[in-house]
Amino acid sequence: MFHLRPSAGWLVTILVVASTGCATYADRLTTVRQQFAAGNLAEADRELKKGLRRRSDRDCIKLDRAILQLASGKPKEAEQTLRVVRDRFDHLEQPAIAEIALSTLTDANQEAYAGEDYEKVLTRVFLALSNLMTDGGDAGAYALQVADKQQQIIDAGVDQHGENPKLAYQRVALGPYLHGAIREETHANYDDVARSRAMVCSWQPNFPFGAQDLERARHGRHSAPGNGVLYVFALLGLGPHKEQAVEAPTTVSLLVADRILSATGKHTLPPTIAPVKVPKVVLTPNSIHAIRVTVNGRASGNTETITDIGRMAVDQYDAIYPRVIAEAVVRRVIKKAVIVGAKEATRTDRYSLAGVGFDMAGIAWEASESADTRCWGLLPDKIQVLRLELPAGQHQLSLQSAGATGRVLGRPAIQIVTIENGRNTYVLANFPATDLVGSILTNRR
Amino acid sequence: MNRRRLVLCAAAIGGGLLAGCRGNQFATVRSPDKPDMVGSHAAGAETFKPLVKQAVGELLARHSQSPQIIQASASAPAAPIQRICFVAVENKSAEEIGDFKEQIYQVIDTHILGSGVFQPVSRRFVDAGLAETRLRPDQLFVPENMRTFVAIMEQQGQPCDALLYATITSGTTRENKDYQRDYLLTLEMVDIRTGQYDKQSATISKGYYHSRFARWLSFTRLKR
Repeated sequence: MFHLRPSAGWLVTILVVASTGCATYADRLTTVRQQFAAGNLAEADRELKKGLRRRSDRDCIKLDRAILQLASGKPKEAEQTLRVVRDRFDHLEQPAIAEIALSTLTDANQEAYAGEDYEKVLTRVFLALSNLMTDGGDAGAYALQVADKQQQIIDAGVDQHGENPKLAYQRVALGPYLHGAIREETHANYDDVARSRAMVCSWQPNFPFGAQDLERARHGRHSAPGNGVLYVFALLGLGPHKEQAVEAPTTVSLLVADRILSATGKHTLPPTIAPVKVPKVVLTPNSIHAIRVTVNGRASGNTETITDIGRMAVDQYDAIYPRVIAEAVVRRVIKKAVIVGAKEATRTDRYSLAGVGFDMAGIAWEASESADTRCWGLLPDKIQVLRLELPAGQHQLSLQSAGATGRVLGRPAIQIVTIENGRNTYVLANFPATDLVGSILTNRR
Repeated sequence: MNRRRLVLCAAAIGGGLLAGCRGNQFATVRSPDKPDMVGSHAAGAETFKPLVKQAVGELLARHSQSPQIIQASASAPAAPIQRICFVAVENKSAEEIGDFKEQIYQVIDTHILGSGVFQPVSRRFVDAGLAETRLRPDQLFVPENMRTFVAIMEQQGQPCDALLYATITSGTTRENKDYQRDYLLTLEMVDIRTGQYDKQSATISKGYYHSRFARWLSFTRLKR
């Protein structure tokens, strides 16, 4: 069946190239994530800076740097970084023919990274959170943009057959939740609050505080006179990231197809020896279940999940995965077609040494592909929240990670917070592993 | 002939390159006489601007001819201008109005202030009063709550005679894939002493079509 007679040396070289390839974004990200989880923010930032040399990776790296800036107590810098990436992702949503052509002849890494759908929405979520930790003046606008962007993404997801795989997307309930919290603080816009809280209940039905928040918005009040409200936001665990995976069924199917065409056609096709590589969204096991919140030495409750980023990323990626495979197949087919075209143009005989040379070149070309594993690698696995009504004044807040059984896992992190009468105080803490990383952020110290 | 072909080729290549490149977002300042863009999925400036203009204009016009003004022009001792607490814009429609809500409040407030018919209390005092009493805007009509709120406003040196509410509602009529939505803006002014109220509404009806053809068809049907 096979008409190839390559020398053993050639084959070994090609297979080595195919199996090793170049270092992917995922390889570089591993170190950054390890350093971040260990609390070595400076070291993680140094690792990120090394990657800035590659132009196509810069936007992803900026997203990761924004998380580091947020953890390091620099919400203003984080907001600025995120704003740049948000605008750039919006710009990159438009197709660029030259980039598409180049990526078809090489791999998807050659295209500028426009962000996964969940990353585009979460950029706005983190903009809102960053802004809340400063003056909060733009947080309401960012919170509205969360729902708006989701709708835009879903509306644009209709394919040629009128089907829309993005209709199944899990919505990010944190956007309306933040909007509701901000509007509730005005004491005058309870209709907006009720609307936002109803949206939270609909988008995140298993959020345990959803029903009571909605009830308060419909019939209650922000807080009793003399009290204020504390919102504790916790970023839990290391979130989803992409890894290179071999799409074995597609590889085998392509190999069978090219063997049939080689046997029946005028020219042989380069055999699909190099595996078809695609990116896969992978979850990181997360032992933290919640953050136990203690105020002035008294246990006040545990945070609950408002947005499960890991689950959302996997579900969204599954919805578009057939398209990812289709693009990988198109790349392979075009490469094979170029080789056949070259053979035809040079009138190469199918049994000649030149024909074998073309096939070897084709195999090497296909083997040079690597999956596009660029992603926002320092996202948390979950965003959780707890709302507490407290008397106005200063309070000692303690945050400690807890496991699924409720047993505390890490060391407590202490922060003094000020509660103002009738106002909201926001706190943000990063727990990529069992202990707090960086500092606890608050808009009122 | 060759030159024409060359120009056509160049134009085709240039056009292809332009179509294949990412464009940069741009913006222009729209002149006031240009019609507003029309929201394709929800109400926007094209709906809210005329609604506010009509409702506020008619409310002010009616009150500018009230006895107090006529008396003033007849050199009789002028009755004091009513002080209005514009409490809230309530969105009870089927749509999110997003950032428009704050704008609607500000536009109405500015119109009322500019007319000289009423004297609106600054929103900052109204918000502070609500925050201080922890009362929801819809709770102000319980007599005790009303007294508490008025007392707080007086403590702030901002006594008021009437409360003003703006409410946006909608009604939707569906016809297969298309629908018509009627938007109603109601301004409701309640005298805090007598409980008497005055109301002014404005309405706009908007059609949403699933395609341009459906829109065209709807217009031809209307003409019939």
